[in-house]
Amino acid sequence: MIELFYRRQALFLGTLSMIGIVVLWQIAVDGGFINPFFISTPSQVWAEFIVQFEDGQVAANVSATLYCFAWSMGLATVAGILLGMLAGWFPDVEAALEPFIWFKYSAPTVAFYPLFVAWLGYGTPTIIAIAFLFALTPIYANTLSGIKNTDRDLAKAARSFGAKPFDIFLRVALPGSVPVMMAGLRLGVGRALTGVVVAELFGANAGLGYAITYYGQLMQTAKMMVSIVIVILLGVILTQILSFMESKTDSWRVDSGR
Amino acid sequence: MRSAEMTAAPAETRQISLSFLRPSRSTVVGLVAVLLFLILWQIAPSMGWVNGRFTSRPTEVFFAALDIFRNDSFLYHARISLTEFVAGFALAIVVSIPLGVLLGTSKIARYLIDPPLMALYIAPTLVLLPILVIWLGIDMAPKIAVVFLGAVFPIVLNTMAGMSEADSRLLRMARSFGASRFDIFTRVLVPGSLPALLTGIRLAVGRAVLGVVVGELFVSQAGIGYQLNLYGQAMRIDRLLVYALIVSAFGYTLTIMVRSVENKIRDWRSK
Amino acid sequence: MAQIEIRDLGIDYRKPKSNEVFSAVDGVALSIERGEFVTIVGSSGCGKSTLLMAVAGLVNLSRGSIRIDSKEVIGPGPDRAVVFQEASLLPWRSVRGNVKFGLEMQRWNGGDLNERAMQMIRLVGLGRFSDYHPHQLSGGMRQRVNIARALAVDPEVLLMDEPFGALDAQTREIMGTELLRIWERDKKTALFVTHDIDEAIFLADKIVVMGRNPGHIKEVIKVDLPRPRDEAVLDSEDFNNLRRRLRAHLAEDMSSMQLVQEVA
Repeated sequence: MIELFYRRQALFLGTLSMIGIVVLWQIAVDGGFINPFFISTPSQVWAEFIVQFEDGQVAANVSATLYCFAWSMGLATVAGILLGMLAGWFPDVEAALEPFIWFKYSAPTVAFYPLFVAWLGYGTPTIIAIAFLFALTPIYANTLSGIKNTDRDLAKAARSFGAKPFDIFLRVALPGSVPVMMAGLRLGVGRALTGVVVAELFGANAGLGYAITYYGQLMQTAKMMVSIVIVILLGVILTQILSFMESKTDSWRVDSGR
Repeated sequence: MRSAEMTAAPAETRQISLSFLRPSRSTVVGLVAVLLFLILWQIAPSMGWVNGRFTSRPTEVFFAALDIFRNDSFLYHARISLTEFVAGFALAIVVSIPLGVLLGTSKIARYLIDPPLMALYIAPTLVLLPILVIWLGIDMAPKIAVVFLGAVFPIVLNTMAGMSEADSRLLRMARSFGASRFDIFTRVLVPGSLPALLTGIRLAVGRAVLGVVVGELFVSQAGIGYQLNLYGQAMRIDRLLVYALIVSAFGYTLTIMVRSVENKIRDWRSK
Repeated sequence: MAQIEIRDLGIDYRKPKSNEVFSAVDGVALSIERGEFVTIVGSSGCGKSTLLMAVAGLVNLSRGSIRIDSKEVIGPGPDRAVVFQEASLLPWRSVRGNVKFGLEMQRWNGGDLNERAMQMIRLVGLGRFSDYHPHQLSGGMRQRVNIARALAVDPEVLLMDEPFGALDAQTREIMGTELLRIWERDKKTALFVTHDIDEAIFLADKIVVMGRNPGHIKEVIKVDLPRPRDEAVLDSEDFNNLRRRLRAHLAEDMSSMQLVQEVA
């Protein structure tokens, strides 16, 4: 038993602290240390969750958020990888894109939110556009560096066997940069979700971000906390999925690569 | 295979003496791209490709900028946003560095606090904005809190990583000379984790700037984000762009500054 | 009595995953006289580094004892200094800063730290490089700094853990000669771990040959080659005989190692 504890120490203590937080939260409010109006309690949030789950609100909000998330992540993946590959392979493309990427890096995308509203109107298209821009940068940057840092020795070896540039791109550069690209996608997922929810905070008629603002304006903390907790859980779950896929591609590389 | 060959070594040695006279190819290409973009942006509305009301023009933005800088209230709004940024960021540094040190040096603390910390790091902390407004009102306080929340996690996690992943060979070497725990901490762990700490700060800058803008866009009575919202709703795209560019320039400058310190410190790392 | 007395030494490790206990070193007894240069040679996994680290006071003993000048070793002490294999220089400190590190840790009070450090840096031939940082130095130069740092604290016993293990063959030879030159000055007791046979003979007054499973001493060989030595000694008849003897030992170990690998 003790041995098992030592081997799974991280897991045990991690679970313990999560439970601890929930219990403390409940006690702090029940004991009168914090006004429930500010933070609600886990039991109230759970009760609210059941209510929202049964009347279909949870499903509606989660699916609205995931819909925008899927679109923006899909677009960002396609655009990011495509641009990243072009820029990674052709130095001129990289040089031409560089100033814009730097601008994008340092500009909080949200600053352009009013602009997108002006162009696309309130709602889904604006949300997707914002989240797309949020997710684009890490995907592009990682693809670029993956292709650019193609193993010179491998490329040389391929060339010595008579491989043409395109062959090298397809068979050396591209497979070699898959793990870095996956890391970019993992970062992108977190940012896309942030983008969707933040854009929903400002203007939407469905979605988790919308629910948070809506109940926030009504000062109904418990109802609001339901969506906040769901967003946090979604972020963790999506990132975990990508981390898992990333570790898969990485292990494959170590096995066959060196 | 030109990508490999064009970056090969000989070019470096030969061009060094003239490099300041003859800008590199990539600089030229970058400048041309920006110029083309500006020209296209300038003429597109006149050619009827886009509606100028929605896109404005570079010249309009330029004149709007002149107008805004002459306008006193710019400094007022900038000062408010800057105060929120500095307060939140300073608070984040004060809290996150000791916390990162604790987590980096104590395994038990790390196991206990890491999961909730990771969850908050991954999750969009900005969703807490509405609840922060309930707690703290609509003045500067909730924005300071959002900046704090955005900045604190990258710094904690990077400090922690820098400490806990210290080179075991250096630790052993220090012990062999009879170094005390305190000596090891101040002379090996702290200098060794400095680059990681700076990386954390650099990542935190971006999140903090985002926090200010989102916080002010969400609800505010003054600040750069307030102005953004105002001109967005008034469809004054030129002015909106000026403020957006100011925020970009701010984030960009700060990031570059931290990065240059980071690079200097990293210099001693193996090349 | 000898300066260093190792008696019935055993060191056990617990494997991190399976919790299995295995002995890195067992039943080791060894005495080293003051001023002796002792090399420890053996194939990888024979516990030679573990033995050295035990003398340094950096690993816990499971059985037996180590005494230096009749004092039991219970941890690192100012009477010993270690030269590590590589990458043990603080990358953010200059050459001088690194050499000063040991002095700082031991609260050196024998005069000005900078002067003492510079003296040692000149001794190892790096006078011009005292302000360089480790990443600007070659592997050989880095090991010179490593040696200077250990010498600076003026230890009774110098412990060296494959200090030239990561260097190329030529640099390695030069460094060996250099080390002897420095050592001849005040002939401190030296314990030097290596897996290189020539190096082991060239430096030693006494060679300790170790074997595996668990790490134990197979033989202790006296080396009577005249000092001071230079590269010419490498071609002498006596040197060749010693080399043959050590090779036979190591070859024996290799064949048993292959068996172990096949079973595993």
